[in-house]
Amino acid sequence: MNHKTRVENPCGYCPCVLRAGILGWCESAPVSEKKQFLFTPLWLLWSLVTIVLWGTWGLVSKIASTGVDAYVNQLLYTAGLLPLMVFVAWTVHKSKGREKSEGRRAGVFWAFLTGILGGVGNIAFFEAMVKGGDASVVAPVTALFPMVTVLLALVFLKERLGRTQWLGLGLAFVAIYLLSA
Amino acid sequence: MHAWLSFAVLALVLWGITGVTQKLSTNRISSERSFLWFCWAMVALSGIVLLLARPHSALGTVVVLCSIAGGALNGLGAWTSFRALESGGKASIVISLISLYPMLTVVLAVLLLHERLTPMQTAGVVTAITAAILLSLEPSAKAEP
Repeated sequence: MNHKTRVENPCGYCPCVLRAGILGWCESAPVSEKKQFLFTPLWLLWSLVTIVLWGTWGLVSKIASTGVDAYVNQLLYTAGLLPLMVFVAWTVHKSKGREKSEGRRAGVFWAFLTGILGGVGNIAFFEAMVKGGDASVVAPVTALFPMVTVLLALVFLKERLGRTQWLGLGLAFVAIYLLSA
Repeated sequence: MHAWLSFAVLALVLWGITGVTQKLSTNRISSERSFLWFCWAMVALSGIVLLLARPHSALGTVVVLCSIAGGALNGLGAWTSFRALESGGKASIVISLISLYPMLTVVLAVLLLHERLTPMQTAGVVTAITAAILLSLEPSAKAEP
């Protein structure tokens, strides 16, 4: 029995350094029936694993920044990304032909630009660590990036913000002030 | 402004812009293809970075492993977050939950790297994580005017 349905724009703006993955995927994510593993919902387990992976990323980035500059760090980071890239390339190859070609060039352009901006952002993140920023402060500051996305979406995509997002935006500015003191 | 903070804010701004460019991309092509081209851009950027980088032979094994692990952890995190949504988790809950990831970085950095936060910074960390969660919540249709 196939219980798969499509998620209707479920993600909003995810605080993920590799936004291209989750933001993109979640918009077309097929949702299966709720499964459990050892009496724990699978979605909760995957969410917790995500926290562990991304949370640890902040730590290992700080350790790496003690011995390499931001540029070398970005090079090695990309090397670590390659296995996943191969897996995704295989997935794309498998689904070849099922995708409409309309607007593909523009889509590829925006994806490529996302990668360049994301990569330069990574270098800035690593540089913040190299310049002496503690992982315990740099990670929360950079995790505020949805504030920029929300502002841009508001101005350029004419999206509307909910009350919680306005509150989040205000708190983000307060947080930056507190962390910079 | 501290030098590290300038770079952290620059990262924040650049990553924030990608939230929009990513959406413009996935409006036109599949998320997998979009992710693939995102990775290709990272590889292309590495070509330019090679000209700027000053790799030296004295790089420590731990440092190199941590750098490579960074890319792998980040990529895998994107994949597991997708699986969380795919496994039936409500987006509003899953995304808010995984927004807590800086909390783990803070705990690990304090425990393993012996970093210390001032009371002001502690308040900032809590505020930042709360803000990130609130920003990640989709406005409900009901709340919209």
